[in-house]
Amino acid sequence: MFTLKVAFRNISRQRKRSFLLAGAIAFGMLVITIINALTGGLVGNIRENFSHALGGHVFITGREFNERGQVITKIRPDERLDQLLEENADRIQAFTKRSQALPSLIFGSKQTMHLVYGVDFHEEDKLLGSLVVTQGSLDQVLQAENAVILPLPAAERLGVEVGETILIKLETLTGQHNVGELVVAAFVEDQEQFGLSAAYVSRAYLNSLLGLGPHEYQMLNMFVTDLDVVEEFTRTFREGLLMPGEEQEEEEPNVTVSVGGVPLEPVPRQERITRWEGTRYRVMNINQIMEPVELAVGVLNRVGLVIFIILLLVTMVGITNTFRMILLERTREIGTMRAFGMHKSQVQQIFLWEAVLLGLVGCAAGLALSGLTILVVGNWPLNVDPSLQFFLQQGRITFRLSLNDLILNLVLVVLTSLLAAYWPARAAARLSPIKALSSHT
Amino acid sequence: MKKALLIITAALLLLCLVPAVQAEDLSHIRAILEKIDAQSRFEGTDFSAVLTLIVEDPEEGIEKLVVRQFRRDDGERYLLLIQEPVTQKGQGYLLEGDNLWFYDPSSRQFAHTSLKETFQDSDVRNADFGSSSYASSYEVEGYFDGMLGNFEVYIIDLKAVDDTVPFPYATIWVTKDTNLVLKAEEYSLTRRLMRSALFPKYAKVGEAIIPVQMVFLDELVEGKKTQVSLSEISVAEIPDHVFTKAYIERVNR
Repeated sequence: MFTLKVAFRNISRQRKRSFLLAGAIAFGMLVITIINALTGGLVGNIRENFSHALGGHVFITGREFNERGQVITKIRPDERLDQLLEENADRIQAFTKRSQALPSLIFGSKQTMHLVYGVDFHEEDKLLGSLVVTQGSLDQVLQAENAVILPLPAAERLGVEVGETILIKLETLTGQHNVGELVVAAFVEDQEQFGLSAAYVSRAYLNSLLGLGPHEYQMLNMFVTDLDVVEEFTRTFREGLLMPGEEQEEEEPNVTVSVGGVPLEPVPRQERITRWEGTRYRVMNINQIMEPVELAVGVLNRVGLVIFIILLLVTMVGITNTFRMILLERTREIGTMRAFGMHKSQVQQIFLWEAVLLGLVGCAAGLALSGLTILVVGNWPLNVDPSLQFFLQQGRITFRLSLNDLILNLVLVVLTSLLAAYWPARAAARLSPIKALSSHT
Repeated sequence: MKKALLIITAALLLLCLVPAVQAEDLSHIRAILEKIDAQSRFEGTDFSAVLTLIVEDPEEGIEKLVVRQFRRDDGERYLLLIQEPVTQKGQGYLLEGDNLWFYDPSSRQFAHTSLKETFQDSDVRNADFGSSSYASSYEVEGYFDGMLGNFEVYIIDLKAVDDTVPFPYATIWVTKDTNLVLKAEEYSLTRRLMRSALFPKYAKVGEAIIPVQMVFLDELVEGKKTQVSLSEISVAEIPDHVFTKAYIERVNR
């Protein structure tokens, strides 16, 4: 305790020097904390935005062969699926059955490609409740079969007004050209903050254009009540939907992420397709989609850690030099203390405590600074490119710092500070009291 | 009673005869489709030409594309090399049977594409650069006689034989005397007119007769059309190595 007190007094004595040393440590701590918190926030936001954009946490698609040997994506009404939905009803917050297409929407001489979801408006009251109508009314979509809800930017690109008719040009599941007419029912605020901008039409109408039956669909998306059980939930559906004799597929994430042009997903395998009967289901979950993203974020975190370690090494050199200077400055003082009965180990402890205290003060300052930065940046609304909105939450950068990262950073700082002060501390402890007292410094 | 029976019998006989007459007429039309396909093919010779495409887009304006085409119908092969505009120079399309590859010199990579796709955002489809295949892709729904300008034509309604044919319905205007398609209309599955094609000028090249001027009209987007004209036409033999990926890469070096 005595050594700690002396160490504290020594630090307080040389405020300017201590401030500079702790400042260097604080800067390193600030950088690593911001990187950790930023990547943590990014992952969280991407996960959340993916869920909103894709309409769920667990996604089921079905594939089957048609008469001409083409693989087409569709899910027919299936008792097995209905039974699974019923059995797991308590774990499902909501589910949607949707079809989708990426058609050209045409009005006069203008056209734009836009994602279109075919939804059952009578079942998707949550969707209707979440859309912010800027013009028109959503009531029409429940009545007119070919009514469309358009995101405002798409409507502006086409120059269309509510009540007018636009054309939808797409390909059927077998690749034939098809054209339909859509009556614009309403404009809604774009949902690009979720990374995807989609128009909505009746599933039955989109199905008729795609060549699907009125009760068929292409995706079953489910929001689970608890994200922690999403893996087990996925497994239940995957196993429950396996056909007799069908081997479970090793699911691969369908999102590619690259860092510096290097893809982070494994090299895709050559798919060997053997014809099968009936529908084969593919059950994916948000974690699989997030895998490459988390991999990329992991790389970023590791880069941040390397930068942090480099900063710590530079600081370490600074601490060692400073403590060697302190040793020279305090030689007579050390001699006096030793003459009054202080042990070698106590002298060493004073030096080490000083290093630890400097490290801790630096960490505290770094954390406080990063907290302040996070507070300011996190509340700054960003009006960035829509594609970047995917990384944000309601237009703001969010930060999430895990306790593990925080502890790791603290331990690293304290250890490097101790290591840096170790040799000067040992040299101080080994000083002969007589020589030290006769020193002129 | 007897009179009524007689009328019914006569009516039934007439009903039986009508499909037979139609079947006979349609087989004649089917033969015309086969002739159209046959005369659009270069059998035993190669074909090369320079294609000039003028693409008019109400949004993008007018763009000129110059493309050199090498074609060998034996093996369903063609190579299209873009020469103009400078920004797209070197891009190429290589057809090998059912596989169509697109080469981009900026990335130096080949990407798989489809014959159904439009060529460089024009109204021409990649399939339009090969020989026609009306007889194998369509069955005749009906036809009638008509006039197109000064030409006597058959106006033939076609229906795709299966759901893999990109345009499920089509109507063609074919000259009675020479079996040349002067006009074609292509329809969607919902029977909406999607594209019209006009072939005002033909030329005999080797044994084949091919259109040397074409106009493609996008019937969905107002004011969008593409005019195609052929020049520097040749039926000289083309070396085999031209129809290879290595050749496209080499001409870009």
